[in-house]
Amino acid sequence: MSGFRLENGGRIDRSHPFRFTYNGRSLSGFAGDTLASALLANGSGIIGRSFKYHRPRGIYAAGVEDPNAMLAVRDAHGYEPGLRAGQVALVDGLEAKSVTGWPSPDFDLVASFTRFAAPFMTAGFYYKTLKWPNWSWYEEAIRKAAGFGLPDGAVDGRLREYRHATCDVLVIGAGPAGLAAVRALKGSGRDVVLVDHANAAGGALRWEDADVDGQSGMDWADGVVSDFTAEGGTLLLNTFVTGAYEGNFFTMVESLVDEGGLKGERIWKLKAEHVILATGSVDRPLVYQNNDRPGTLLSSSVRQFIGEYGVAAGQQLVIFTNNDSGYLTALKVARAGLSAPHIIDTRQAPSEAHVEAARAAGSRVHLGAHVSNVTGGKHVKAVAVSGESGQQVSLPCDAIALAGGSTPVVHLAAHRGSKPVYDEASASFVCPTLPRRWYSAGAVTGARNLAEVLAQGHEAAQTIANTGADVPQSEVMLGMGGVAAMWQAPTGNPKNMFVDLQNDVKASDIKLAARENYVSVEHLKRYTTLGMGTDQGRTSNINGLAIMADATGRDIGVVGTTTFRPPYTATRMGAIAHHRQMDGYAPRRLMPAHQDHVAHGAKFEDFGWQRPDWYGCNGTDREAAIKVEMKAVRGAVGVFDASPLGKIEVAGPDARAFINKFYVSNLTTLKTGRVRYSVMCHDDGIIFDDGVVACIDDNLFLAGPTSGNAESVAAWFERWRQTEWPDMQVAIAPVTSNWAAIALAGPKARDLLAKLSPDFDISKDAFPHMHYREGNIAGVPARVARVSFTGELQYEVSVPARYGQALMQAAMREGDAMGAKRIGMEAWLRLRLEKGYLHLGSDTNGRTTPLDIGMGGVVAKKQADFLGKRALSLPYNASGRREELVGLKPIDAPIQIGGRILADGYDSVPCPTIGNVTSACDSPDAGNIAMALIERGASRIGERVNIYAEGSISEAKICVPVFVDPKNERLHV
Amino acid sequence: MIVITCPYCQEIRHEEELTYGGEAEIIRPLEPEKASDDEWTEYLYFRTNPKGVHQEQWCCSGGCGQWFKVARDTVSHEVLEVTTFNMKLKTGGPA
Repeated sequence: MSGFRLENGGRIDRSHPFRFTYNGRSLSGFAGDTLASALLANGSGIIGRSFKYHRPRGIYAAGVEDPNAMLAVRDAHGYEPGLRAGQVALVDGLEAKSVTGWPSPDFDLVASFTRFAAPFMTAGFYYKTLKWPNWSWYEEAIRKAAGFGLPDGAVDGRLREYRHATCDVLVIGAGPAGLAAVRALKGSGRDVVLVDHANAAGGALRWEDADVDGQSGMDWADGVVSDFTAEGGTLLLNTFVTGAYEGNFFTMVESLVDEGGLKGERIWKLKAEHVILATGSVDRPLVYQNNDRPGTLLSSSVRQFIGEYGVAAGQQLVIFTNNDSGYLTALKVARAGLSAPHIIDTRQAPSEAHVEAARAAGSRVHLGAHVSNVTGGKHVKAVAVSGESGQQVSLPCDAIALAGGSTPVVHLAAHRGSKPVYDEASASFVCPTLPRRWYSAGAVTGARNLAEVLAQGHEAAQTIANTGADVPQSEVMLGMGGVAAMWQAPTGNPKNMFVDLQNDVKASDIKLAARENYVSVEHLKRYTTLGMGTDQGRTSNINGLAIMADATGRDIGVVGTTTFRPPYTATRMGAIAHHRQMDGYAPRRLMPAHQDHVAHGAKFEDFGWQRPDWYGCNGTDREAAIKVEMKAVRGAVGVFDASPLGKIEVAGPDARAFINKFYVSNLTTLKTGRVRYSVMCHDDGIIFDDGVVACIDDNLFLAGPTSGNAESVAAWFERWRQTEWPDMQVAIAPVTSNWAAIALAGPKARDLLAKLSPDFDISKDAFPHMHYREGNIAGVPARVARVSFTGELQYEVSVPARYGQALMQAAMREGDAMGAKRIGMEAWLRLRLEKGYLHLGSDTNGRTTPLDIGMGGVVAKKQADFLGKRALSLPYNASGRREELVGLKPIDAPIQIGGRILADGYDSVPCPTIGNVTSACDSPDAGNIAMALIERGASRIGERVNIYAEGSISEAKICVPVFVDPKNERLHV
Repeated sequence: MIVITCPYCQEIRHEEELTYGGEAEIIRPLEPEKASDDEWTEYLYFRTNPKGVHQEQWCCSGGCGQWFKVARDTVSHEVLEVTTFNMKLKTGGPA
């Protein structure tokens, strides 16, 4: 309980106070606050309990690097657990809840257990302990004690969208380096995108005391930004670059924020010619005993809280530093009117200028000293400071700022494979070798002084486009010198020195891992979980691997870093899924007569289109309805919505020659007004579609691919037209959804068609089987093909899509007296199985050729080349050991789809198999029937085979695949 | 992410708007019946699969629908050359 709002200062809008709640308590903040700054301003101490030991934890940092402040947040647009307080913009009415600690983070019962259990819960604790009898015995209790809250199960209304873009220059980071870069690109004519995760540009200029070109840093930044946007530059705020990929491609997540909170998210997929990496750095903490107590913050965050939000971390601060930046914090705190902090500097002889400046501001400076312990169980009360000589002093305080050096944010370069290399001078990993057309500038390079940062940003931009601009100047008040690395305090108990605060990894765990030979940094990470939290070890990785280096006597550079992988920060699954969820997952394609199907109780299945599987109006259960539907087709007439059936017009003087190159059958002899069934292959001879082709006239053919291939066949035609036969005079028009198609099937189909008033002769002789006619039906233009998938007299009547429902209704109205029924997909498919007609994709697979389905004769007769022809005579296709399509009749038990055909002589499994059952059903007329692909099946008609399905073996007889009307008499009535 | 400016409609197309069509310059023998089994198998199945410059076919399927040719570096994903289907690529190809 130490933070509070300062009287003045910050970039918050004090004229816009907000109310929000934290664990039900009503608190106040201002526009411009983050949830973290507002909580700190309200004196929040314990914000949660740690993952493993349930130790109390407080706000630790201002931004994305905070390992502690994970909260559940509800705003006007939705609820989410596990958000980082520093990344949540405060809005009026926001509700925040802690997600760890039970019953509350302040009073946590688990903590009283873990306090005693902690000594046993070392690295690898789960692996070593919870393995008997198995993990599931412990899982429920462990999951309850761990984690960062639960989702509420509700679907939020947040907007999700994707945007694709390209640019000449992507500048990542709108701090001083990035701004110097866009300033230098002014007038270059380059299309520049400037991205920053904060809600305003400026970076550290927003909170540090700095002058650029004779103005305050922020005035300079505002000027650069307004010039940039005036010139048409794209500024993306609230946007994280989450991943960098080959070809300078980036993914970015933009938060869309309004007065209610997070309105939505936009994922950017952006490709850039040039990239300026100006991602800055984050402060590193120092590792000492009880370094995780609430009230402990990163030093740079203490400055940011003061400068950006007007919030002090405490009344009496102690700064623990190993470099010059700690002095900046001391000066900032003193300037804010707070009591001058103690500075505990690990170094013996820092620069005189810094020490003098701090002393002049009232600070006491302890040189060559370190913090050896902290007192205060739920909040820091005092630090024990050990000097070089070993003497200890206790300094009362209510906040500690840690300046352990800075860690450059090299993630994005590392995503692309740039190797982070250890730099002794800055005691940090930097990426000196960058991907092609990348440039880095600012703190990400290890630069520590503003003048250097600005010059680097300027220089990077000038490499891309030399505009001759002048370099922005900043007078260096206090130079930031080197870092004297101290990875772990020399005194204190390593079992209470926390390296990774989010995953509760301690210095002692890393040493244990070293003793147990988990010395590779990748093993260290997985064994101890160092850096595996949602903060991805931003504050902990470097300290951890340095302690490992020390424990194994290696250089830090040799130990190296773990692999950096996207995303840079947690990305919501919803943002990635975007519209591809719920109904947006796949568009529901509705047939023109959809409402009529609904009205008659259709049970829909998705076949790429929503198609009735069966109709509730035909029976109360599926099997009964299907039987009614099948009987109607065999005995009277069935009405089937065939609208999704593919329809592709192939037109032009070369239409006939062109289409003849695709189908296995000879189409050069197909006369006007006639229809022919055939299959088509890829050039490897494998069947990929079947259907009928109608010759409307010599220059116009109508191909009817299967519903599922309607688009791909059109694309297939078009590809060959463009790439192989560009000289052919032919045009391809996919017209599938222009036409609704209603099939009338059954002995009374002609009577029913006659009732629909065709204006052309439909008599048996004038319109025979496999013929095509055009005219008017019920007064609208129609295309009618007399073809059959059921083995009955059948007409497929196509009318413009807008008349589809009217035709369906008219057919049922007129057919009522004849016993017409609506027919669903399942009945339709069983009817075709009774006739042994192929169902593409069921009865064929990725190896089936026309020869395997009994079309060898058709192939042999065709002289002209067609796609797939040559491949059919390749040895493996002509081997005589092919799986061929045949019929099956059961001998003892019903045949099941998918059943494996056992090789000859086997009656138990495991054993070799020679094929499988491809279709099976119960036919009202023919009993249990099936089709199967069986090796050399066509020459084995009459033989018996054993079938294995679902654990049992049954026997069946191979037959010719025709089970109803083998002489096709019904087709020709 | 591959971004290509379509040589026909001149629009910048992102990967999702494009369809990949495998290696370019695969010639279908003009007289298939005269091709030997080896020649036909070579045409059907054998591809260069280089680490480096690859000549390939792409279709502006989300746009104008035209097929075109691209030389792409399979290591960096960099698109080195784009041309219409009736032209030969100058980059890549058999050494």
